[in-house]
Amino acid sequence: MRKKQTWYALLFASVIGLFAVANYGNDASEYITVTPTDFANEETPFDTMMRVLTHERCVNCHPNDHIPKQGDDSHPHYFGMARGTSNMGFEATRCTSCHQSENNAYSGVPGAPEWSLAPAQMYWEGLNRIEIAKSMLDPERNGGRTPEETMHHLTEHELVLWAWDPGVDASGIPREKPPVSKEDYIKAVKQWFADGHIIPSE
Amino acid sequence: MTQNEKRISRRTFLVRGGLGTIGVLAVGTYLFRNHIRRGIAGVVNTLETPYQGNTKTPIIWFEVTETNDIVLHSPKVEMGQGTFTSLAQMAADELEVSMEQMSVVHANSASGNIDGFATGGSTSVSALWVPLRELAATMREMIKNEAATKMGVPVTDLKVTEGVISTGSASMTYADIVKGVTEWDIPDTPALKELKDYKFIGKPIPRVDLRAKVFGAPIFGMDASMPGMLYGAVVRPSAIGATFLGADTAEAEQMPGVVKIIKENDFVGVIANSQIEAENAKNSIKADWKADKKWQTADIEKLIEVGKGTAYVIQKEGNTNDVLEEEARVLQAEYKSPIGAHAQLEPNGALAFVEENKATIHMSTQVVRITRDEIADRLGFDSEQVNIVPTFLGGGFGRRLHTPNGIQAAVMSKAVGKPVKCFFSRKEEFQNDTFRPPTHHLLKATLGENGLIEAIEHNVSSGDVAFGSPMLPGFAEPILGADLGAWRGGMIQYGGIPNYQAVSWRVTLPFATSWWRSLGLLANTFAIESFIDELAVKAEKDPVAFRLAQIQDDDRGHRLKEVIKAAAKKAGWSNKVVNERAMGFAASTDANTPCAQVVEVSIEDNEIKVHKVTCAMDPGIAVNPDQVRAQCEGAIIMGISASMHEQMFVEEGELQPTIYGPYQMALMKHAPKEIDVVLLQNSEVPGAVGEPPLGPIGAAIANAVFKLTGQRLREMPLKLG
Amino acid sequence: MTLSLNVNGAAQTVAITDENTPLLWVIRDLLELKGTKFGCGKAACGACTLHIDGEAVRSCSYPVKLAAGKNITTIEGLGNEENPHPVQQAWIDEIVPQCGYCQPGFMMATAALLNKIPDPTDADIDRNIINVCRCGTYYRMRKAIHRAAAIQKETTPKTEE
Repeated sequence: MRKKQTWYALLFASVIGLFAVANYGNDASEYITVTPTDFANEETPFDTMMRVLTHERCVNCHPNDHIPKQGDDSHPHYFGMARGTSNMGFEATRCTSCHQSENNAYSGVPGAPEWSLAPAQMYWEGLNRIEIAKSMLDPERNGGRTPEETMHHLTEHELVLWAWDPGVDASGIPREKPPVSKEDYIKAVKQWFADGHIIPSE
Repeated sequence: MTQNEKRISRRTFLVRGGLGTIGVLAVGTYLFRNHIRRGIAGVVNTLETPYQGNTKTPIIWFEVTETNDIVLHSPKVEMGQGTFTSLAQMAADELEVSMEQMSVVHANSASGNIDGFATGGSTSVSALWVPLRELAATMREMIKNEAATKMGVPVTDLKVTEGVISTGSASMTYADIVKGVTEWDIPDTPALKELKDYKFIGKPIPRVDLRAKVFGAPIFGMDASMPGMLYGAVVRPSAIGATFLGADTAEAEQMPGVVKIIKENDFVGVIANSQIEAENAKNSIKADWKADKKWQTADIEKLIEVGKGTAYVIQKEGNTNDVLEEEARVLQAEYKSPIGAHAQLEPNGALAFVEENKATIHMSTQVVRITRDEIADRLGFDSEQVNIVPTFLGGGFGRRLHTPNGIQAAVMSKAVGKPVKCFFSRKEEFQNDTFRPPTHHLLKATLGENGLIEAIEHNVSSGDVAFGSPMLPGFAEPILGADLGAWRGGMIQYGGIPNYQAVSWRVTLPFATSWWRSLGLLANTFAIESFIDELAVKAEKDPVAFRLAQIQDDDRGHRLKEVIKAAAKKAGWSNKVVNERAMGFAASTDANTPCAQVVEVSIEDNEIKVHKVTCAMDPGIAVNPDQVRAQCEGAIIMGISASMHEQMFVEEGELQPTIYGPYQMALMKHAPKEIDVVLLQNSEVPGAVGEPPLGPIGAAIANAVFKLTGQRLREMPLKLG
Repeated sequence: MTLSLNVNGAAQTVAITDENTPLLWVIRDLLELKGTKFGCGKAACGACTLHIDGEAVRSCSYPVKLAAGKNITTIEGLGNEENPHPVQQAWIDEIVPQCGYCQPGFMMATAALLNKIPDPTDADIDRNIINVCRCGTYYRMRKAIHRAAAIQKETTPKTEE
């Protein structure tokens, strides 16, 4: 039931977004032409990318309160785990006390190389997709990355791509993946950056 | 606590041969008597449980080693409560040996030293207080008699120091004396020493199992191992009320490491070469379960309501009905407690080796005899063919007062002819627990013109605790009427009130509910002592003075008053909010042990923070004061956990959650940084220790929160609105 | 397949069929070191905590293949009767354990904490020591952690691994 609602909400958001993007696109660029029949079936690269980046698989590790979130319901990490001093957890009880470089099917503990929280300034939790995009492109908040570097990070970093290989939870149930395939996501991100990484105004 | 039995007459026992050791007979029959009836009477009338096992034969209790040390074979199991240490102290004092010479092991059931009842109910030390010291004294005299013969002097000329018997000019160790002797006369029970003459009883002796536990020795059921051992896994249902229909094991049979898959009427088991291979194969089995109804938390809450189920008046003094009919004056409140899980850290399990004519079972259990008999039944063996070898328990708390899982390991071992070890997964522990039942309480009272309680009534509705347990035979239920576990702590302890009544409502739930450390005490005290606080507030009286004014003048009342005064004094009781901190007070009397607690609480980030707990308790003689303190500290923290954090839910027919974390429990950061324990001794016997200090904590916290915030929290877990 | 591990300073070779077998079971069932406990198998309770290259790790969620070539320390290697680790000595002095089942995990977590923070504050302890104890020995554990820090300061720090 809850999932269905989320899905409708996302769909609604996408459709609204499409209008906004379409208008923006027509004003700003010559080659984006959107015909009314495309609205329902197609989305812009930005939309595709953002359907992923606003998914809990991504946002759970970009918290606004230094507390990682867990699960499809994004609850605060149990046992009071938090960012700690270098995004790696506490001094002696680090992220890597439990999370290794790959998922663990026996325990249901997720893992990937460099498992850690996104730095504090890269918080996405509570932001809308426009704000996330702005944050992503802001060198003050993206770790000093150029757009090119950000594109590579978003499409190549193993911890980012873990979202499509999220493993199973403690009950052995597969975690939900983002609502876009990895290939389509990578294509969309590359396209958005190639198109000048224009942030629509919504 | 006296054993109403005649002192044993002289008997001759044949002792197992062996150089320099006596003790631990291999006896086919032994002096077990079914004391169940007296046990029930004892529980009901005095909340004391007489020891239900051998109290006459020292040589099945004690072993003298070649190195002149004493091994005590304990029929009571050690689950953290410190019983082994107290028993060692009691034995050492009468045996005249040092603590360094004492060690304690679990008596296996084949030794004959078997407890007919269980380890539970905070009774181990109290029930063995007289028998164990008498056994030790008898053993000492028995060896002295032999020494007198060997040394050719009258027994009265012998002195014993640290296991060495001397005439003044010559000396022999216990080990020297017992060497080669195979026939012993058991003397009449000697008089026990005076309390003041004990060297170890009453002293804070370090736990006898301390070092094993600090250095990681393999002492727990889960650590048991045998050559050629295989690993078992059993498919268990996740749904409430599920009955097993069948299972498709085709895939599992092809899995790596699988030795055998067995299908019984009541379960499917996998036997494999390693733990994970067994687990993997189990996970591939498609089991078919049938559950009639998808239960939800709301369904359970509807069942547990005062007024539903069957009622039984457990306490009645004066006439509450007439007074409480004057509705205008009646104060009334309802309280609730949730389903609680045991959540002990070591899962249930067993290592079983079933051979042609015998079975050996290593396991953590609180019920050695019942488990032995259950396994024997299933295997078609006589009880004597099954030897239960109890291990240290990685937590008990009542979870192991029924351990039929030993059967599954035994059945699997029999199927492959090899030892098989089989344990619950953590999810299975949470879903197949024998839970602390949820409760609903309705309290009514009137205040008299003097500002004291004129009449009070406590109604408690609870799932079963004692009823349905294999420890309580079916015939006991109609005799008892009400579930003694559910109403534990449910009586009104203020005998100065002119009219009081307590009523227990029984509801049987669709999932197993049973013994959970302190039984009904935690929830009942939370409800009653919170309500007493409400009445004190209404009467505009200090809650401590309000309680003291309504306690009767008898021995029980005197002991309760003393702990209340001691706790208030030690804590520097104040009924005012100081520096945004408030104190809360509560008291309870459980199994003849009164306990009062003062907590100091503040609110941080809208969460209740318990800074300090002062606990005054009168357990009578504290055989080991340090471990009595440890039990108070532990019970307080477990009580904080249960009353502020823990709660099981019923979702779509399953008990949830199934893992630590989602099942919230107190962690280091939630434990008070100060726990101040004051021990009183206004009784001449050791009383209950392990459970009574769980009583007051929930109410004390809720009462402090009310003082601080004005919010009266009437449901556990306590959460601010 | 066979894997080479260094456990408590000794080289060990183990034969396993699944390289993802949790290190916990290799330590317990193949190397017969039972001090590292199974509590939940989900990295939630901390009973299986040991050290890998000096860091606290919950071994129930650690595939054995990742341990190859690393230095593993279990409670049995932390110290012994003759030469207890300061944490073990403090646990003895404060008489911490009750049932004892969770204690090795707590002692390993504490030893790792003292490696990072030699004199931890209560807040440091609350943050880092997040294992689960059902008997409620947290009160004595906290005292023992402070005592261990004091013992460690007095004595030459043990070099681990």
